[in-house]
Amino acid sequence: MSTTTASTKQIFGIVAEFDSASDLYHAAEKVRDAGFKRWDVHTPFPIHGMDHAMGLKKSWLSGVVLCGGVTGFTTALILQFFTQVNLYPTIVQGKPTNLNTVPAFFPVTFELTILFSAFATLFGLLIFVLLPRWNHPLFESALFKKFSDDGFLLVIESKDPKFREDKTTEFLESIGAKAIERVDA
Amino acid sequence: MAGLKNADHYAQGEKFSPGLLKWVLLMGGAGAAVLFFIIASASGEQFRGAMAYSWLFALIYFLSLTVGGIFWTLLHHASNSGWGIVIRRLMENLGSVVIVIFVLALPLLAPGFRDALWEWFPERAKIKAEAVEHAEHELAARRAQLTENLKAAETSLLAMEKENAAALAKATEGEKVYLNAELAAAKGRLETAKAALGSDEEIKEQLKYEHFKHSNVLLYKKKGYLNEAFWHFRFFFYGAALFGIIYFLRHWSIKSDETGDPKFFRRMRRAACGFLPLFATAWTFLVFDWLMALDYAWFSTMWGVYLFAGAALNSMAFLIILVTLLRRAGYLKEVITMEHYHLMGKLLLAFTIFWAYIAFSQFFLIWYANITEETKFYLTRNTDFWNPYSIAFLVIGHFFVPFTILLIQGFKKKPTVICAIAGWTLLMHFFDVYWIIIPERGPSLTHGESLIIPGAVWTDLLAWISVAGLFGFGLMHFLGKGSLYPCRDPRLDESLNVVN
Repeated sequence: MSTTTASTKQIFGIVAEFDSASDLYHAAEKVRDAGFKRWDVHTPFPIHGMDHAMGLKKSWLSGVVLCGGVTGFTTALILQFFTQVNLYPTIVQGKPTNLNTVPAFFPVTFELTILFSAFATLFGLLIFVLLPRWNHPLFESALFKKFSDDGFLLVIESKDPKFREDKTTEFLESIGAKAIERVDA
Repeated sequence: MAGLKNADHYAQGEKFSPGLLKWVLLMGGAGAAVLFFIIASASGEQFRGAMAYSWLFALIYFLSLTVGGIFWTLLHHASNSGWGIVIRRLMENLGSVVIVIFVLALPLLAPGFRDALWEWFPERAKIKAEAVEHAEHELAARRAQLTENLKAAETSLLAMEKENAAALAKATEGEKVYLNAELAAAKGRLETAKAALGSDEEIKEQLKYEHFKHSNVLLYKKKGYLNEAFWHFRFFFYGAALFGIIYFLRHWSIKSDETGDPKFFRRMRRAACGFLPLFATAWTFLVFDWLMALDYAWFSTMWGVYLFAGAALNSMAFLIILVTLLRRAGYLKEVITMEHYHLMGKLLLAFTIFWAYIAFSQFFLIWYANITEETKFYLTRNTDFWNPYSIAFLVIGHFFVPFTILLIQGFKKKPTVICAIAGWTLLMHFFDVYWIIIPERGPSLTHGESLIIPGAVWTDLLAWISVAGLFGFGLMHFLGKGSLYPCRDPRLDESLNVVN
């Protein structure tokens, strides 16, 4: 068990390594029950049920995607009806220029719905996870590099209202962390 | 991890006892079917024809559910899926009922039913009879004409030989080549005329074909496919192929319940990949033969996919309801969780979209291109009362309603909500199959006089009830044999603990 020596820099958080996916899963349940809010786990592969163990609520991203899709849908219909029916009625293939011509507008409507949904997904996600950014304090951590190999890591950030460096370190040790590292901000 | 289920505790499986329900369904279905055929035999030709459409409608409704069951079983094996092991036996049982539907399809072979449904049968028979008459009638005239042709060829050859003999004597080398070639060509013409004369039988055969071609060029061009012998062969091929596929998969699956030998698991996977093309061929051509050929002049290349999309969607809806009913009756309570509901709900949403995509593509291409031989199908269905029917049941009912509701994640995890949607989808499938078959009935049987046959809607319902009862009986029969889930499948663990 090793803890880093006190640093003069401000602290970003604490990284703790666990032995297995199973240990990490149970540790996550305990961290959740202890009432921490600003924390995360990093693993080499997705662990089923981790959302539940971490107490994560359903993401708001699907709501953003729905708004994007509805915007795309209405944009396409308004664009086509306004230009092709109201502004400059265009007869193609002998099709009428009124509400009955709506099937002709469906392909564009379909595509714009998907395009706007995709944009909403991408940009919504980027905003939610605060990307892009140049660097992240965790990249300075030696322990963190193991997350893409064989490390099952749990990180508690110092911004968490319940975070106290000494007490949180002790807490992580008590729930079975096999290595702990302090990460500078 | 805590709370994980151990497949060893579930290895004994669960037996389902249908009890009295199986026999109630059999009696109800058989009773309704007997009544249906009594009415059919007592009715006049036109109403019996209308009832043929009723029977086909009921058959296709339930056939599509069973074919969907076969598809999900095949897909489950071919894609090596793990989530649905606990539901797979229900898919296999649903697919096996296809044999019941095929037995019930045998009345379609009776000329009274067959000729009313597929006009090309009587049309071909009529043209053939006419062609024989035509051949008898025209034989003498054609022979006289051919003999005259032969004589003309002979005379011209003789004349040429005489003329050339004199010319050849004083011809140069170059001229000789030319004259000899001319002579050879005239000889060739004579040979052709001799061959064309032929026997009486040969001339008759030729006259028949000419008559066929001139009477109905579409049927003539399709004669390689749309002929009685090949059609009957295909009829039995579809039954054998579809039931054969699901028979073997279910057989191996039940075998593996006893021993848990992984060789069955591997065999099913390999076989499923080979069966998929056979399955696709059988179902696609079945719907070409039984549904698209209701109007033999019409065609759509989307037809097979359209019917497949409806089948896959609605058998998933049926499976959701079946699972819920079984759980309510006390079976599969620990084995199937809300996660399985969520997964099946997602597939229901995916296939709702897929169905709409295919249905719209078919409509859109035909509507926009506006080619006479293609628009006929939609012309019937987009005019008169069929127009509001299409918009209400297919556009709004079949797509927009389930699509909007299924988008919400929470609903897919609530059995009551997902069952309501599945039930709604099955109801819309009723209207979809009705819309495919029935608009053809009035114009066909009354030669364009009337859109509907009065009173036939009641025989539609009676036929549906008959087939529903016998379908239910078949399903109960297969459910009652073997465990309700493959209890020794190597990946039961994965399916029991699935999280998504």
